[in-house]
Amino acid sequence: MTHNTVLNWPQHLHWEDYYQPLGISEALRLLDEFKGDAKIIAGGTDVLVQMRRRQLSPRVIVDITRIPGLDQIREEQGIIKVGALVTHTQAEQSLLVREKAPALSEGASHVGSPQIRNLGTIAGNLVSGQPGADTAIPLLALGAAVKLVTAKGERTIPLNEFFVDIGKTAIHGTLGLITEILIPAQKRGETSVYLRLASRRALALPILAVGVVLSADLKKKRFLHTSISLGPVARTPIKAVEAEALLKDAPIEEKLIREAARKAAQVSDPRDSLLRGCSDYRKAMAENLVERGIRQCLDRLEGIHG
Amino acid sequence: MGKKKVEFVVNGQQVSLEVRHDERLVDVLRNQLGLKGTKTGCREGECGTCSVILNGKIVPSCLVPVMKAEGGKIVTVEGLEQEGELHPLQSSFIEKGAVQCGFCTPGMLLAAKNLLDHNSEPTEGEIRRAISGIFCRCTGYRKIVQAIQAASQMMKSSK
Repeated sequence: MTHNTVLNWPQHLHWEDYYQPLGISEALRLLDEFKGDAKIIAGGTDVLVQMRRRQLSPRVIVDITRIPGLDQIREEQGIIKVGALVTHTQAEQSLLVREKAPALSEGASHVGSPQIRNLGTIAGNLVSGQPGADTAIPLLALGAAVKLVTAKGERTIPLNEFFVDIGKTAIHGTLGLITEILIPAQKRGETSVYLRLASRRALALPILAVGVVLSADLKKKRFLHTSISLGPVARTPIKAVEAEALLKDAPIEEKLIREAARKAAQVSDPRDSLLRGCSDYRKAMAENLVERGIRQCLDRLEGIHG
Repeated sequence: MGKKKVEFVVNGQQVSLEVRHDERLVDVLRNQLGLKGTKTGCREGECGTCSVILNGKIVPSCLVPVMKAEGGKIVTVEGLEQEGELHPLQSSFIEKGAVQCGFCTPGMLLAAKNLLDHNSEPTEGEIRRAISGIFCRCTGYRKIVQAIQAASQMMKSSK
């Protein structure tokens, strides 16, 4: 937290130049040329606010929104590919995402406001590295990976290795960019949900958010695979690995669901926050939300296959 | 500070301007084009009063660097009135008392227009969601929702 008062924030922003490259290689060349003083923006909804608050002061802006081909969502061989310029609105409304990665569609629907969702991108939400990011939490549960490109080349890393600390990820907007987000498309017998607790239904940061991805054999009453993510309860969005293991190939039983929820809440370490509530409350709610998430996934599977 | 040329269409009119490339759309609309209907509030994309329609989408013009608008189509509140006739939403806002201090009204009208452009008979829930990014501290939103509902009915029956 800086000690700048609101009155101290500038009315106008300054940068020396504003570039709108038409290709990824041109964008990388600019980053290289300005050696850490050029910042990538897409929607700009985080970067411009950070600049106003004097948390960032790049010399030049590299706006990548004119690069063609990055604004698509498509499925290839069981992988949903979300381009770097796909906005929250697009992800929320995409029939493909709704059907095969519903938790992401639900997460995207909660980001900021309709206006912010029209500008802001999923990739940008990830790069900002906030532990309570509404698209990061479902994507972590969904087992997504990101394709990163820098001057050194391209690499793909899973999201659970992407988040480093608050506001810090494996990529920095002065060094490179995410070109694509890769999400395993859900198959039959598998579904996902994103649940969020906030003080209002709109324009409110999450007190707590949970992503659950689950596959089950309802005839045999058994869980198959479960993936659970939580935020903002640590310095990055986190996975509840022990809870996941507990449900692996386990019978669908009340007691077990409650136990898994309890275990998931144990990995959370939320701070006392004037904005989000005290730690004890948030921990209790984490348990509650995970339990609800598991049940909602089961309900969805019943709805689809029952 | 270097200037750049930017061209876009505002309320149906092609404009070509020399701008500082570090300006944001809201300031260019207000200060260079004199379109003061678009208000500046928080300057951080939170309050929604600077909302305009850019290429068919409602966006906070305080978070749009003006260079992003190059080649785009913009509708501001001044573009709602056609040949001296108020837009049905504007008449409806007046009639239903949906305007109090008026500071949120331009954003509200544009969010409502953008909704009705895509969905001519929205439910109350859809209306509330469409205007959820625009703060009104006077009305409690009720009359705004009613005005949008009434406008949607009016536009339907006049078709």
